[in-house]
Amino acid sequence: MNRENLIQKWLDHDLNTQELEAFKQLDDYDDLITLDHQLKGFKANSFEKEAALETVWNSINSTKKTKKYLPLVSKIAAILVICFGIYFYTTTLDTTTNTIVSEHKTIILPDASQVELNAVSVITFNKSKWYNNRSISLDGEAFFKVAKGQKFDVKTSLGTVTVLGTQFNVKQRDAYFEVTCYEGKVGIDTNTKQVTLLPGDTFLIIDGKYIATEKENLSRPSWLNHKSTFKSIPYKEVVAEFERQYNVSIDFKNLNATQNFTGSFTHNDIEIALKSITLPLQLKYSKTDNIIRLTRE
Amino acid sequence: MSKPLKENICEEHLFSSIFKKYSKDLHDFLYYKFGSQLNPQDKMQEAFVKLWENCIKIPQDKAKSFLFTTANNLMLNEFAHQKVVLRHQKIKPKHSTNITPEFLLQEKQYKEKLENAIANLTEAQRVAFLMNRVEGKRFKEIAELLEISTKAVEKRIYGALKKLREDIDEL
Repeated sequence: MNRENLIQKWLDHDLNTQELEAFKQLDDYDDLITLDHQLKGFKANSFEKEAALETVWNSINSTKKTKKYLPLVSKIAAILVICFGIYFYTTTLDTTTNTIVSEHKTIILPDASQVELNAVSVITFNKSKWYNNRSISLDGEAFFKVAKGQKFDVKTSLGTVTVLGTQFNVKQRDAYFEVTCYEGKVGIDTNTKQVTLLPGDTFLIIDGKYIATEKENLSRPSWLNHKSTFKSIPYKEVVAEFERQYNVSIDFKNLNATQNFTGSFTHNDIEIALKSITLPLQLKYSKTDNIIRLTRE
Repeated sequence: MSKPLKENICEEHLFSSIFKKYSKDLHDFLYYKFGSQLNPQDKMQEAFVKLWENCIKIPQDKAKSFLFTTANNLMLNEFAHQKVVLRHQKIKPKHSTNITPEFLLQEKQYKEKLENAIANLTEAQRVAFLMNRVEGKRFKEIAELLEISTKAVEKRIYGALKKLREDIDEL
């Protein structure tokens, strides 16, 4: 057993009695023991395990409170805020109703006024403010049956129609603006003109020009009965209306778009309707898919 | 799956038993490695708090590694490179009756030399050596704690002893 081995074994607390004797015989035995004795002085501080564990539990519990409950509370608060926000937002938001091609819709307003919406039209109004402000914006054509009450405004890009309680039709398509009064009194305010309509009166502006029209003797607009009626209306407006009622596009490049047309077409049968708008002007039509081409005979 | 593996250290009794098993070794490890001025007890406790926070992710048999690594990192975060100072606890010699001033002076000088020599050991040597000499741990136990081979522990400890004696003789 050499010296190094003995020291190794001594270090590992693994000397047997015989080896211990041999170890004691080493020259540097005294040195080693002195060193070993002095080294004991470097012992790490002892601590009370139970108390230390207590401290650990305390800090775990205090972090748990801040780390685990706080996010939970803030999550709940955030959800409530979002819910309230959505509720508040949606209830005060404007209500918008629109129709697609060849669709008609009936909308009952909060005061039981009734709106019949023709194809490809949009109305927007605010439910929560309705009783203070009966105001509706319209892009397209609609027939109104207004319940009696405060003034009722229909706002379009070409003018505002104001009424008290009445039935009237408003049609605004691009530069075309037509209001027909069926009952009561209707006030119209456009940039150029202010007029009051009596039952049967029609107010018509096409491309900024006011056009005089004859008395209307129907009690409701004809489109409510699935029929579009025109009296001396430029042909392009007729075609545009046709395209809105049937999902088609009409090509009539070579024709005179401003020629006036008087007549009507039905919304229920495209063949009959096509004949209605072509025969009086002696036109021919050919149909491929959704495209209709109109030509002179 | 067998039960001990399934059991989660989030269980309070299990956590407490892990604490009782490793807190002293962990504390000693930190003390011998980094010295007393970095407050090893605080870091030890902090490491256990972190163990609890991550108890779901850590299987029981990985708890020890986690504790030692975490505590080590906590220490390193605080003071990257500070010279380790281990203070001698000044244990009273037993034969206190016939102390001569020369002997006292000698002993004081010896302790100073020893403090310096210990500070000059590498971290790895110091940890293994003091765990062995002061805490009376055997090579195998140290090897398990530090997750190194017994041979490596032996080398570190013997190397430390050699270096200490050289330093002391030199000074």
